[in-house]
Amino acid sequence: MVKNMSAQKKISKTESQSDIRMKTQDLSAFYNNDQALFDVNLDIHTNKVTALIGPSGCGKSTFIRCLNRMNDYVENCRVTGKVRLDGFNIYKDKVDVILLRQKIGMVFQKPNPFPKSIYENVAYGPKIHHLVENKDELDALVEKTLKRVGLWDEVADRLSAPGTSLSGGQQQRLCIARAIATKPEVVLMDEPCSALDPIATARIEELIAELREKFTIVIITHSMQQAERVSDHTAFFHLGHVVESGDTEKIFNNPEHQRTKDYIGGKFG
Amino acid sequence: MIKLFERRTRIAMDRAKKKKGPFIYKSYSKKPKHRWVKKRKAAERRFRRAGFIAIAISSLFLASLVWNIVSSGRSAFTEAQISLQIEFQADLVEQGAYRKIVQNSLIALFPEVEDRKEKRALFGLVSRNAPHMLKKLIEENPALVSTKKDIWIPAASTVSVFYKQRLKEQSKRGGKITASHAAWITQLARSDRMQLKFNMAFFKNGDSREAEQAGVLASSIGSFMTILICIAMAFPLGVATAIYLEEFARKSWFTDFIEININNLAAVPSIIFGLLGLSIYLNLFGLPRSSSLVGGMVLALLILPVIVIATRNALQAVPPSIRYAAAALGATPTQVVFHHTLIYALPGIMTGVILSIARAFGETAPLLMIGMVAFVADVPKTFVDPATTLPVQVYLWASNPELGFVEKTAAAIMVLLIFMVLINLLAIYIRRRFEIKW
Ligand SMILES: Nc1ncnc2c1ncn2[C@@H]1O[C@H](COP(=O)(O)OP(=O)(O)O)[C@@H](O)[C@H]1O
Ligand SMILES: [Mg+2]
Repeated sequence: MVKNMSAQKKISKTESQSDIRMKTQDLSAFYNNDQALFDVNLDIHTNKVTALIGPSGCGKSTFIRCLNRMNDYVENCRVTGKVRLDGFNIYKDKVDVILLRQKIGMVFQKPNPFPKSIYENVAYGPKIHHLVENKDELDALVEKTLKRVGLWDEVADRLSAPGTSLSGGQQQRLCIARAIATKPEVVLMDEPCSALDPIATARIEELIAELREKFTIVIITHSMQQAERVSDHTAFFHLGHVVESGDTEKIFNNPEHQRTKDYIGGKFG
Repeated sequence: MIKLFERRTRIAMDRAKKKKGPFIYKSYSKKPKHRWVKKRKAAERRFRRAGFIAIAISSLFLASLVWNIVSSGRSAFTEAQISLQIEFQADLVEQGAYRKIVQNSLIALFPEVEDRKEKRALFGLVSRNAPHMLKKLIEENPALVSTKKDIWIPAASTVSVFYKQRLKEQSKRGGKITASHAAWITQLARSDRMQLKFNMAFFKNGDSREAEQAGVLASSIGSFMTILICIAMAFPLGVATAIYLEEFARKSWFTDFIEININNLAAVPSIIFGLLGLSIYLNLFGLPRSSSLVGGMVLALLILPVIVIATRNALQAVPPSIRYAAAALGATPTQVVFHHTLIYALPGIMTGVILSIARAFGETAPLLMIGMVAFVADVPKTFVDPATTLPVQVYLWASNPELGFVEKTAAAIMVLLIFMVLINLLAIYIRRRFEIKW
């Protein structure tokens, strides 16, 4: 549903907007009566990596959860404003969240593979969305996905071992594989490396650089260096507001706002 | 030599370092200990000792309980049998006068008994069930008619108890028994016509008025049928309730109200559930009294709250991050539950369910209320037949003062305990084997 309607909309959009995959308009979020996001307007560009940075508690996770409506699961969370995927507002009543989440995958802070086999972890999404016709296609898809995240060589001989038996870095790559197996357009990552050691982190960063060709990626990170290394665009959040957003290079080398400068310079965090 | 020297210096250096080192090192040195260190260690020791004493006392109680039961119940697994030379006279068989056949062979064994009263006492040596056994034998094998055969016949339970106690203690002390009985028993034993045999009847029969014929088969089967009904009703109901409350229901005053009620129900005395079953199942619905169907339904009410609580705990133990992971992949709420949460919670749920079944298995009071105390000699064939359960059987036998039933009671308790241990072992196995560590 999302796909069809968005396709129609896309045709009517002007050329300059076609490289904007997602767009938020006056997006605000509330927990009970506490406002966590204030009128956020942000563009997320197609096949680019957008990094969200900012001190803890500034609303980055709240924002990223708005993008695939995971906030529906958070009790007492209310969202106002619009989030457009390919021009189509995903907060409209008739939107099928299930299809939406197939289009927008998510990777969490702590690796959270299902305690099922490695194979099942990757195959689960395609199965529930009926993306494959038969077992052979599924096998092929699992293999392709695991290869894409660079896990195939490490786990090819133990696909039936539980996903939880892998190391932390492998688990996180498995979670990425699980997310991209449903062939999403956008992949959201909420601090995917914060629970990993430096080597595993480097591995994930490489992976993100490769995935950029196929997917639009939004990544939250606490590491300035990481944001600088992996992202094309950066948005700086502070106290629920987007203080500044734009090309990563510009944000890091020539920020407009004093607060951005202070944060990147490590004056607060 | 040099190496040794080096080691010594190193140790000395370490010591020197420690002396100057941070405060915690001081407690390792030989210096007098600080008062609070002593106090702390004494407290640790005291606590450990208290724990040890508690465990020792409870083990002692457990051991004396088991010893008591085993020592008084062990003898029930054997029974005295008398070898009689039975002559299946054709005319007597024809008339069905099996009692006469038994009596004849007893008289043949003790021809000196003349007195009518004495004769009656003599006939009391063997089980009152003996004629019945012979009849069965003939029915199974008609060729036996008009032949003579040595057959082991169970002794009456008083005789059996007396014989067993004499064997054990080599004394004249025994149950209530007449002098002539004692003399006959001695005579039979001397001629090897009385022996202790394994008591098959205990495992093959239902209840009986004669202690030597009473067995646990009917009550065991009754127990299992009752538990089957109980599981069939309580498991789906309890698990479904828990899933709904835990995964789907929005928190409101209503769910809070239900939760409080469930927690309270778990603490209601079991006999109340019996009264509930009596007034609803029997009086309102008119279901058959003392049937395993009603028994199981009453026990289901009893363990339902326990199952709900155990299932909710197991569901809560599944980390939310797993639910989010599934939901973020586009699983519907129902898929999240049935593909993930429930599956991962299943080992915990099973453990809880099995333990609550163990509880239901040992329940007595509510079953008394719905008439499962009936005398049940036959194995129940359907769920509406009169049935009894093992613990109720224990209760029934325990209230019978006859010596033969005293050992039966202890033996039935042993059977019950064995079932209990098996159920608990199963729960432990499932927990060990399938538990998911997060
Ligand atoms: N489930 C929740 N209920 C209430 N308040 C929340 C909840 N989640 C987040 N918040 C609040 O919203 C604000 C933003 O949180 P979050 O988006 O997690 O920040 P970040 O990810 O940038 O550290 C914080 O003040 C936090 O306390
Ligand atoms: Mg966060």
